[in-house]
Amino acid sequence: MSIQNLQTFDPFADANKGADDDVQDGLVHIRIQQRNGRKTLTTVQGLSSDYDLKKIVRACKKEFACNGTVIEHPEYGEVLQLQGDQRENICQWLTKAGLAKPDQLKVHGF
Amino acid sequence: MAEDEAIFDPTLKKKKKKKKTAFDIDSVLAESTGENDNSNQGINTEVENKDDDQDDANIEIDLDFSKKKKKKKKPFNLEELDGALPDVKEDTTNETNQNQDDTVLDDNLDIELDFSKTKKKKKKKKDLDELIGEAEEKQEDKENVEDNSVTWQGSDRDYTYDELLTRVFEIMRDKNPDMVAGKKQKFVMRPPQVVRIGTKKTSFANFTEICKMLHRQPKHLLDFLLAELGTSGSVDGNSQLIIKGRFQQKQIENVLRRYIKEYVTCHTCRSPDTILQKDTRLFFLQCETCGSRCSVASIKSGFQAVTSKRAAIRAKTA
Repeated sequence: MSIQNLQTFDPFADANKGADDDVQDGLVHIRIQQRNGRKTLTTVQGLSSDYDLKKIVRACKKEFACNGTVIEHPEYGEVLQLQGDQRENICQWLTKAGLAKPDQLKVHGF
Repeated sequence: MAEDEAIFDPTLKKKKKKKKTAFDIDSVLAESTGENDNSNQGINTEVENKDDDQDDANIEIDLDFSKKKKKKKKPFNLEELDGALPDVKEDTTNETNQNQDDTVLDDNLDIELDFSKTKKKKKKKKDLDELIGEAEEKQEDKENVEDNSVTWQGSDRDYTYDELLTRVFEIMRDKNPDMVAGKKQKFVMRPPQVVRIGTKKTSFANFTEICKMLHRQPKHLLDFLLAELGTSGSVDGNSQLIIKGRFQQKQIENVLRRYIKEYVTCHTCRSPDTILQKDTRLFFLQCETCGSRCSVASIKSGFQAVTSKRAAIRAKTA
């Protein structure tokens, strides 16, 4: 029987391994904003800048059949902006594409 | 150990009798007809009934009774009595000790311990007649007891984690039935009254009332609502909240629910009896029930897309 305390343990083992398989850390905020009439906007804030947001928005536009754009914000970085209420769609798509885990997604709005 | 056995041996004999009395009480409870048996047992049942009465009347007195009995009689009886006293916290330690002792004892005692458990349940039910939902739970408990916590008591095999878990929960429920009630207790809210004003604005009529119910500053709830909905708004003279944009009651309810989950109910015990205090720029949620204290997320509105006419913004800034 060995003594647990005397066993060697590398406390930085996790750090060397790097972030686990490409999924980013930090929350992804998904918000909805009302425009005039019944129209709405969906914004996705907090996606890691490692990804090419332009490519993501291109794929999303095609998938959800909506228009969208990437906006540069001095504080929040690049923000995805999609037309219409795409909260459900974007949540599913981000998890399916492996860009974020379900518990990292934070959906705001009503 | 020798002394222990010396103590426990006479109790074993007594316990046989006790077992019968337990049966008697059960039958009395079931048929509600007073059967007078042998003199010995009759006296015993009377004592039991007295105890029951005093259970209802005064817990303090009951505690004394149980203490005395502990000295006179055997641990088995004490356990019953303890089970009958829901709120006595001192006895929890005693009881666990007793349980350990019981497990040390031989198989005969284990069988009788079964009886004590079942009997405890019956008494419990009688005491807690007001709580209707409880009864079913108790029955489930009884099954659990017979299935899990007792199965390993006589044998040499190791108990599993699940068995211990059910056992500890069962003891907890026995000790304070209030907690079980608290678990089921629902946090009832009055629904928000949401009325459309014109085509572009929404009024949240009982906003301040809801703030009072939640014991939160109106400003805090206002900040949260506006950040979540991504709009602007203000409280008007009639203490109602005017929000820009069209919102239905259902939508406001959703946001309120999220607010309550994050900023009102305790994250540990889910009790709504909490205080939100600001401490060095951070909000802390202090629970009045369990005493836990944890920081909660600050309210950030995050990115806001431009939804108004850009020409109008330009005109404003220029």
